[in-house]
Amino acid sequence: MTDEHLDRMIRDADPYRPDVIGRFDGAAQHLLEEIVSLSTLEPVAELPPGPLRARRGVLSALAAGGVAAAVLAGVLAVSVLDGRQPERQPVIPGITSGAKGPVGYSAMVLKAAEENPRLLIDQPGWKATTVYGFAEKTGTIAFRNGEREVEMNWYPADQYDSYHRDRLDVSRPERVQVDRWPADLFRYRAGDFAVMLRPRDGSFVELRSSLGWTRSEFDQLLAHVVRVDARTWLAALPAEIVTPERVSEQAAKVLADVPLPPGFDPAALADLGTNDAYQFGAKVTSRVGCGWISEWLRARKAGDAAAVQRAADALRSSHRWKVLHQMNDAGDWPEVFWEYADMVADGKSPTGYEQALGCE
Amino acid sequence: MSSGTEHEDRFRRVYAVNFAPLLAYATRRVAQPEDAADVVAETFLVAWRRSRDMPPEAEARLWLYGVARRVLANHHRGGARRERLGDRLRQRLGMAAAVDPGSEVPERLTVRAALAQLGELDREVLMLTFWERLEPREVAEVLQVNPAAVRTRLSRARARLRNLIGDGDGPPGHVLGVMAVRTSEEGR
Repeated sequence: MTDEHLDRMIRDADPYRPDVIGRFDGAAQHLLEEIVSLSTLEPVAELPPGPLRARRGVLSALAAGGVAAAVLAGVLAVSVLDGRQPERQPVIPGITSGAKGPVGYSAMVLKAAEENPRLLIDQPGWKATTVYGFAEKTGTIAFRNGEREVEMNWYPADQYDSYHRDRLDVSRPERVQVDRWPADLFRYRAGDFAVMLRPRDGSFVELRSSLGWTRSEFDQLLAHVVRVDARTWLAALPAEIVTPERVSEQAAKVLADVPLPPGFDPAALADLGTNDAYQFGAKVTSRVGCGWISEWLRARKAGDAAAVQRAADALRSSHRWKVLHQMNDAGDWPEVFWEYADMVADGKSPTGYEQALGCE
Repeated sequence: MSSGTEHEDRFRRVYAVNFAPLLAYATRRVAQPEDAADVVAETFLVAWRRSRDMPPEAEARLWLYGVARRVLANHHRGGARRERLGDRLRQRLGMAAAVDPGSEVPERLTVRAALAQLGELDREVLMLTFWERLEPREVAEVLQVNPAAVRTRLSRARARLRNLIGDGDGPPGHVLGVMAVRTSEEGR
């Protein structure tokens, strides 16, 4: 099935029928009048964040844990090895470790790592491939082993009951344990399982496997899921995952052919948390792009033609940045970036760029 | 600072332009069509009371989708209706809800059952993309996340959905229970 075919199938499955709107007989107008007759001063519960809230709070969530940058305000200085031995770590054989020897983590980084579920698969061959946070207390980490994949998503603890209720429509829950922690196993169909752990430390995890596992294979996998401490978790992520102590090395690579906007401080990238390479590239180029666009706007306002030209040239050069080309197969971030870069390079105001590029 | 009248005029314009898309958004995510009335009423009530947070008219729709998403989450959590609004709309939607055989072809049911088996974010990214017809950066705005994260989600959600659909029949008896809004019966 091609992507195009799949997309058409999804579109065709839309349950909404526009013709229904013709049969309202004034009900929409009636509702409008009801609303505007009410006071605007009543408190409103459960608002989504306003559109002007800095997006960085979401973007910089420690990817595998959703620790908003607001919590990590300022720079997360990762302590470099200074010859001190870090605390002894439990050694988990079988977990692919990307760490080269002991690493010291600052208290801030450790605290951030503490905030996520820190589950690993203690079995040879499993490797974290995708890591990112979607929002505070929400995130995803996916592990792959050959053709098989296990995804762990976590959500805020206060959503547990509603998720759990929803899953009761899937199948009867079966009580299982994941590293001695109670959980419910749901069976979507033969060979398709999900396990929802009870909430812990403000979030809960749902673990989902790729299709086609037997129950005994899945049970075996569950038996190897372990919860580890923050150091072990950080150390176990493979080299491709940009953990805080790898930020400066990876940032140097990403920025090698990228002109930096005025006032750009690569050291400040230490607050980006833990991300896979794609997410990391997006976050770093986001800051560079935002910096150049804001410089361009400033220079234009100040009538500084040379600075306008510099900013436009820098943004135009993004079509040659290696990092964006490397990311291009994985997703559309580069297209979004180039769209805004080209607007500015062509002298047009990049309306909405802060939202699109996640500027602070 | 806008006067009360300007505030109301602006709200009326936003309502007129966005009522249908919001009703569509809500209808796609509730079990019973009439439940969409509650979601729409609550969403516009929030918009009325938080007009200052609402972006300019041309960009209000994405913000409203974001509000509706939060309202829906409340409904999923069994949040009671705080205002008794939209009863007439509720009634009309209930009457208009005769099943359309065209929407119940097996392939569509299979796709919807498969969607219901995805995680909430995967499902929402797909629905916003293909039903609300939003661009990735617009989806990102509704979900308050990075567009790059949306692209990653989208391709993974597609792959998972393809596996689910390609796997033949959906699980027996499982229709969009995941998306069901459970509101208490009127008068209870």
